[in-house]
Amino acid sequence: MTSVHPRALDFPQPFLDGVIPDEAELTAGERVEAGKSYGFFTDTTLCIGCKACEVACKEWNNLPADKDRMTGDSYDNTGALSAHTWRHVAFIERIGRRGGDSTTMPPYQSNWLMMSDVCKHCHNAPCLEACPTGAIFRTEFDTVVVQTDICNGCGYCVPACPFGVVEVSDQDGKAHKCTLCYDRLKGGLEPACAKACPTDSIQFGELSGLVTRAQTRVFELHAQGQPAAYLYGAPETPGATGGLDWLNCFFLLTERPEVYNLPAAPSRAANRVRPALAAGLATAGLLTLAAAALMRGGRA
Amino acid sequence: MSGHPLPYGRPNMPAAPAAYRGETYYGRAAVKHSPWDWRIGAYMFAAGMAGGSQILAALGEASKDRRWDGMVRNARTVAVVNATVGGLLLISDLKTPNRWYNMLRIFRPTSPMSMGSFVLTGFGTLSAATLAGHALGWRRAARAAQVPAALAGVGMTTYTGALLAATSTPAWSASPRLLGARTASAGMASAAAALALGERAGGRGGTGQTLDRLALLATGLDLALSLTADASKNRAGVEAPRGGERMRRLSAYALAHALPLGLYALNAGVRRPSPGVSVAAALSVLVGQALMRGHLLQSGQRSATRPGDYFRLTQPSRGVQRIGGAGDA
Repeated sequence: MTSVHPRALDFPQPFLDGVIPDEAELTAGERVEAGKSYGFFTDTTLCIGCKACEVACKEWNNLPADKDRMTGDSYDNTGALSAHTWRHVAFIERIGRRGGDSTTMPPYQSNWLMMSDVCKHCHNAPCLEACPTGAIFRTEFDTVVVQTDICNGCGYCVPACPFGVVEVSDQDGKAHKCTLCYDRLKGGLEPACAKACPTDSIQFGELSGLVTRAQTRVFELHAQGQPAAYLYGAPETPGATGGLDWLNCFFLLTERPEVYNLPAAPSRAANRVRPALAAGLATAGLLTLAAAALMRGGRA
Repeated sequence: MSGHPLPYGRPNMPAAPAAYRGETYYGRAAVKHSPWDWRIGAYMFAAGMAGGSQILAALGEASKDRRWDGMVRNARTVAVVNATVGGLLLISDLKTPNRWYNMLRIFRPTSPMSMGSFVLTGFGTLSAATLAGHALGWRRAARAAQVPAALAGVGMTTYTGALLAATSTPAWSASPRLLGARTASAGMASAAAALALGERAGGRGGTGQTLDRLALLATGLDLALSLTADASKNRAGVEAPRGGERMRRLSAYALAHALPLGLYALNAGVRRPSPGVSVAAALSVLVGQALMRGHLLQSGQRSATRPGDYFRLTQPSRGVQRIGGAGDA
């Protein structure tokens, strides 16, 4: 017999060949249970830009390829999150910035920023709040998922998202985005990107533990001489603004959010329903009164 | 909802950086624009006109003045035709149109599109009832459906503005109140203009003139709201349109506002108003408002491709962030 993981021996009759129940316990130290909140903590200071997350995501979710071309934007030939790309590694080269040029490069690797972007699974998710069909729903793991058999491709979730994540695919006419590997969570597995990440830049876990871990990491970095480190999207931090409350997938950044293509203070699109409707109704009411007065006057 | 300030300057946080200086990620869009095309602009135009028409039909019916009978019938026809064509436009713009009925699967109060699906369905049904009642001579049935149809009509002239405002698209989200208000004024201007055309065609000059005055009032209000909205957007950080987009906006303003205001003023200043001038003004309002819906849609899509617009708008305690607090125009 070839090598078998010791845990696998506890289950002589697995429900699927080669699947270890609660495998996430082994790979992420977490048992995935319905009713708890799960998310990602993406620590950009650990990212080496290997794109293993992008590949793992494409493979597991069977995602079609996007445009195949060189962008000229550093090593980022993926470009952006899309209907077919649910992890996107951003590359920011800080050579020649701040008045210097490429001959005055700061020492070591401190002039590189890399960040694996993903759907934030917002606590108050604007895509979900916009969806008129109920295709976008909140799962038992507190994640936000599009049910493609309900989606009719109206596209309202697309401009609603404050992070430009969700998109309607031209291949099947339905909206798609990261599911936080809903199917894997149901099977007790860690999401594919986090499992594939070789540096643990992407950490999967239950939200409260993840936030504590992230705060510890920020203080650790400050102590090590990286005072610019801060959390984006964790409760009470930038990104967790405008009624979004917090993002289940949050980040550790060392530059302004805009540098990573993130808004400094995003907000819930649904905040704007009430003011717009109220002003519209007031205007319509005013013009109705004016019309009534004119029409009565016309009779005299 | 003032939002959390950036952490800079807090204990253990980096020293205060300069204000946002236009940093972007290779100039790539930070949000995605909607996948909608001209059909959504056309629907918004049709919906506003239909809603306004049913409001005017209810007023005509309530006046108990037989001179308005022709207008009431025309208004009900406009409502039914626009709701039908509009509904078909919406369905054809879906990327999976054979599942259009999922729009009525749930009701979601946070989604103006969900609200609008029910408003349009109710409006279409009630409008059909008013028109059928009229055509079959069941005046009582038509009258019973008229007030609910007009109330649904108020929704029709209003919700499309809220639908655009409740997005992360810079040009739409920058001033939600003004966008909501100008949608309603545009709907009423289009309805008054369309029905005035009907009165002129039917040779009813008196009622036509009353509708001209209403169109003049609504157009004046719409001009004020639209100019304020455009200025407010720019102040919040949305780039002003350039090139072809600027030309399209100018022509929309010229046809929707400048030309009809001039023509209506010309007619108001003389003892015998010219029906020809009135017809020209009404046509100009209709073409101009249709162009304006197209421009609003298109300029929004463009603004979503400019990361600077979005980032300026999403600075703490600025732009979109202010909504729900004080300071929104």
